[in-house]
Amino acid sequence: MTGYLLRRLPSALGVLLLASFAIFFILRAVPGDPVATLAGSDPSPETVAAIRADLGLDRPVLAQYGTWLADVLRGDLGRSYVIGGEVSELLSQRIGKSVELTIGALVFSLAIGLVLGVLGVTVKNRAGQAVLSAINAISLIVPAYVSGFLLVFLFAITWPVLPPGGHVSVLSDPQIGFQYLLMPALVMALPPAAIVARYVKDGLLQALGEDYTRTAKSLGIPHRRILWRHALPNALPPVLTVLGMLVGTLLGSAVIIEAVFAWPGLGTLAEQAVTRRDYPVIQAVLLFMVAVFVIVQLLTDLAYALIDPRVRLR
Amino acid sequence: MATDVLSAAPSPGPVPAPAHAPGAGPGPAAAAKPRRRIRNRYLRGLMTPRGIIGLALVGVLLGAGLAAPLLTSHDPNFQSADALVGPGSAGHLYGTDEIGRDLLSRLLYSIRTDLMVVLIAVPLGLLIGGALALVAVTHRVADVAVQRLFDLLLSFPSLILGLTVTAIAGFGAGSIVTVIVLIEIPSFGRMLRGAILVHRDREYAVAARIGGAGPLRLLTRHVLPNAADPVVVQVAVAMSVAVILEGAMSFIGIGIRPPDASLGGMLSASRPYLEDHPFYALGPLVVITALVVGLNLIAEALNRGARR
Amino acid sequence: MPVSSIFTSRRTVLRAAGAGAVALGLAGCKSAVDEKKSSPAGASGQPKKGGTLQIGSLTDFTPALLFTQNAFTAVHRLVFNTLTSYDPKTLQPQPQLAKSWQVAADGKSVTFQLREGVKFHNGRPFTADDVVFAINNLKDPKRSAQLRATAAVVQEIQVVNPLEVTLKLAHPVSNLFDLFEFMIITDKDSVEEAVTGKKLIGTGPFVFKSWTPGASLSFAKNPEYFIPERPYFDGVEVRIIPNNDSLVSALRGKQVQLAIGLNGRDVAPVKTDPQFTVQQYDTGSGAVYVGANVTVKPFDDKRVRQAISYAINRERIVQQSLGGFGLPSSAPWPKSSPAYSDATAKRYPHDPERAKALLAEAGVSNLDVPLAYLNTSTVIAQMIQFDLQQVGIKTTLEPLDPAKFQAQLIGQTMPALWAGSHGFAQLHPATLAVSAYPFNEAKNTSKFSDPAYTEIVQKAWRQPDADSPAAKAAYQDLSEVLLDRQFVIDLVVLANLYVADKSLQGVGQNTYASLVLDDAYLA
Repeated sequence: MTGYLLRRLPSALGVLLLASFAIFFILRAVPGDPVATLAGSDPSPETVAAIRADLGLDRPVLAQYGTWLADVLRGDLGRSYVIGGEVSELLSQRIGKSVELTIGALVFSLAIGLVLGVLGVTVKNRAGQAVLSAINAISLIVPAYVSGFLLVFLFAITWPVLPPGGHVSVLSDPQIGFQYLLMPALVMALPPAAIVARYVKDGLLQALGEDYTRTAKSLGIPHRRILWRHALPNALPPVLTVLGMLVGTLLGSAVIIEAVFAWPGLGTLAEQAVTRRDYPVIQAVLLFMVAVFVIVQLLTDLAYALIDPRVRLR
Repeated sequence: MATDVLSAAPSPGPVPAPAHAPGAGPGPAAAAKPRRRIRNRYLRGLMTPRGIIGLALVGVLLGAGLAAPLLTSHDPNFQSADALVGPGSAGHLYGTDEIGRDLLSRLLYSIRTDLMVVLIAVPLGLLIGGALALVAVTHRVADVAVQRLFDLLLSFPSLILGLTVTAIAGFGAGSIVTVIVLIEIPSFGRMLRGAILVHRDREYAVAARIGGAGPLRLLTRHVLPNAADPVVVQVAVAMSVAVILEGAMSFIGIGIRPPDASLGGMLSASRPYLEDHPFYALGPLVVITALVVGLNLIAEALNRGARR
Repeated sequence: MPVSSIFTSRRTVLRAAGAGAVALGLAGCKSAVDEKKSSPAGASGQPKKGGTLQIGSLTDFTPALLFTQNAFTAVHRLVFNTLTSYDPKTLQPQPQLAKSWQVAADGKSVTFQLREGVKFHNGRPFTADDVVFAINNLKDPKRSAQLRATAAVVQEIQVVNPLEVTLKLAHPVSNLFDLFEFMIITDKDSVEEAVTGKKLIGTGPFVFKSWTPGASLSFAKNPEYFIPERPYFDGVEVRIIPNNDSLVSALRGKQVQLAIGLNGRDVAPVKTDPQFTVQQYDTGSGAVYVGANVTVKPFDDKRVRQAISYAINRERIVQQSLGGFGLPSSAPWPKSSPAYSDATAKRYPHDPERAKALLAEAGVSNLDVPLAYLNTSTVIAQMIQFDLQQVGIKTTLEPLDPAKFQAQLIGQTMPALWAGSHGFAQLHPATLAVSAYPFNEAKNTSKFSDPAYTEIVQKAWRQPDADSPAAKAAYQDLSEVLLDRQFVIDLVVLANLYVADKSLQGVGQNTYASLVLDDAYLA
């Protein structure tokens, strides 16, 4: 196993390095730079030159990249040019908020997925099954901004019980914070919920076909009890694995959801940083996102390798 | 992370089931006369309730978009003093927006814009992704390079990619097309690479090679037609992803250049009026949903047809 | 101080809010959107002490722009003070950290007597050295202060004693006190930490506690503030809510008592609600304009630029895109400016025929030019495009993101036409012409230069007495030359809006739109 990991590691690191290089140079190819924002509305050429020198932007790009990479490897992400503050602090605050949203979404997707999955097994009539599969398909494919708009319209405007957007930390004020979390987390949870539902349903069907459930049935144990006490616990482990893999997907969908609900997470930070050319911040955010992606992929491969030993030999 | 805004795409990420599992390929019997068989299978897939509903949804919207000049006499960009009037008033069937433009004609023209973007971007993504897949299967080194490139493209959330491309290339349809292409490249590329690898070693391909077929002939006559199944399905999925992405980019203000109407642009403009003029948002919401659902139904129908 | 208007009437939707919360099973719980029982409002006229004011802001604090006027206004006059502050009605300076002052008859020097016993939040006493530092700091190009040109006129600073300082000027300037209204006095030892947002140390009514980027700022009462019994509040919390309807909703849910940064369109849902007051200041928010690059033909011909000015329907922009807030005007000045007159504001009425005639006279037809704009003001750009098309000027819209827009603005690389907004018209008129980039006589985005303009600007700027008849005449000349040359085509003077819970009293702003909470309290 360790051997497999060691073999996979170089290519993961390669993607990271490649990404860091691409991010750094593409950013500098983008017209407009942070100096424009920092120089205010009436800058003289001296102002612009002074700020540029102050930020070290007058040095050759390759030298800038070297310095930055060395700093990052030492764990120093630098200081934000425009937004202000240490990049590491900015990043960790926003990651905290994104994690809050992601955990909320994971809980929702698990709950909704379980309900839909169990219903998928217990509902027997054709009409019911058709409705269930329609719900599944809709939640899988409807874009986040469409479901977000509908929820805002329903629960923030027509029937104003929830705020249309914004953020209050669940940790600092659980009651209010939860109300802010509800809609964005629900929107984020919809597509993974459909996937969870599929896995739950498949797992349940499989477990219900196993010997021990058939035995239990023949012993006269009620169907409901078999489902909840025997089949479901057996169907859960693969579902949890899938859920873990979905984390990366959720982080990606955060950008648009944060835009719809004014949630101050990583996506919003990335958008702010790109439009203002806050180089150190964009570099850190993008590198973090790429790292999450790479790690999730690595873990996925690892999980497959655990399940299927043949993969390890490849 | 490739599936962020494109939650519709059931495949490229590590997550869902291996929808494009090569096992679904046709048996040896099918391989004997590949072409006629394929057409029939897809047709049969589309002629199911699922497929018909999907085709109807997309067809009606496509038709409405193409026939926009015939369906409405209003110039979609003409502004008037009648701002935010409700449906039916002042000669506007579906009301006006905040600067007095006819909403119905804007909606119809926005379908046009959308479809234009999608119909350019998806084939382009398929072409480039396919070309890269072909490069990848030639040589081990090329394979590693191409795969890392796919990884890299997949690792950026699509909207971040959108923001960056727009910052470089400016606002407009060109940037949207570029972003969609960049996102489609790895999904088409990975899929084709996998399919080619599988089919290259199947008996019929091996037989053809022994029978003296050159590599190009082998590829075009034997491998590609058999690898086409997942691709045909993926084209429909990719189109819905493209519709979603266009909407998302226009929604966050980096999409189609004003004053041209776009679905996401209209949706985002309607937000401040959601309370007092909810009809404004309704149009783009319905159209986007219908397009996405329709395209996914088609994809699903094709998929089922191909597996039969 | 404000040209304020307060709108009242009833709204039913909020009623439903309470009912909805109950139905959802939140009865007895706190709701993020629920309308609480209105406080026993303003029964007594007596200011109430204590409590924390919750403010919602659309924009976040940008510490790097601390010494630049920028969109975030809730820090400058909370933590800091200035030497003097204007009475906004008369633009007469009033004492703040300076007790009194004398301007020499030739206008070439000014002496300040400073208030004694004032302490910075770190306990250090405020002295003349801090004034010296503040002026030199503004001269530093890295600080990007818009009034750097005026600060640079201060040639020599003499510290007479710790509480008296004399500034010698290179030449008299009419907008000298604009500088002292603008220049916040910061602790000189921590200024580098101030521009990174770590430590803000001033003498103001509130002590800076913390800033969490993208989320919040928090301030506590300064118990040793030099104005006795002030401020009333024990603390101020600013929450960053970067979405218009979320901010309005936070206001309705009573999570904030004051919303800053909203535009006229956003306030539509609350402007008729008796729970809230909408205060409208015509100073400090700047003006919307169309700029013309005069090096691009045919915009070198002023008749073409004048035609644009006639072609645009300013009234419609105010109504359709600004929710009715704002002053349609062809001149840059708000009503409080000494340069304002109805005649200049209405110089270019909406007159497409006149515009076509001017274009014909200039021999221009089949124009098709780019129109750049900031991608956040799409609606106004589309309206300008439409109006221009009606007189035969076709434009292609070029949206630019903020960094690109700013880069092209200061790099003089704007295309033929662009739409933007400028500030600094609310002060002494000369400040506009030397400090707002589109108007700068020395170097501006339009690449416009004209000896006559330069002469008029310099004359208006170098007036020793800002209120003399000579100064007034100079301002009039400035207005006239701007209206005639039209390299900057002003459209609408924007209103700065505060939407507040009606129990909030005593909120003010200075001429730079910085929020002043010295006298604010919740009734």
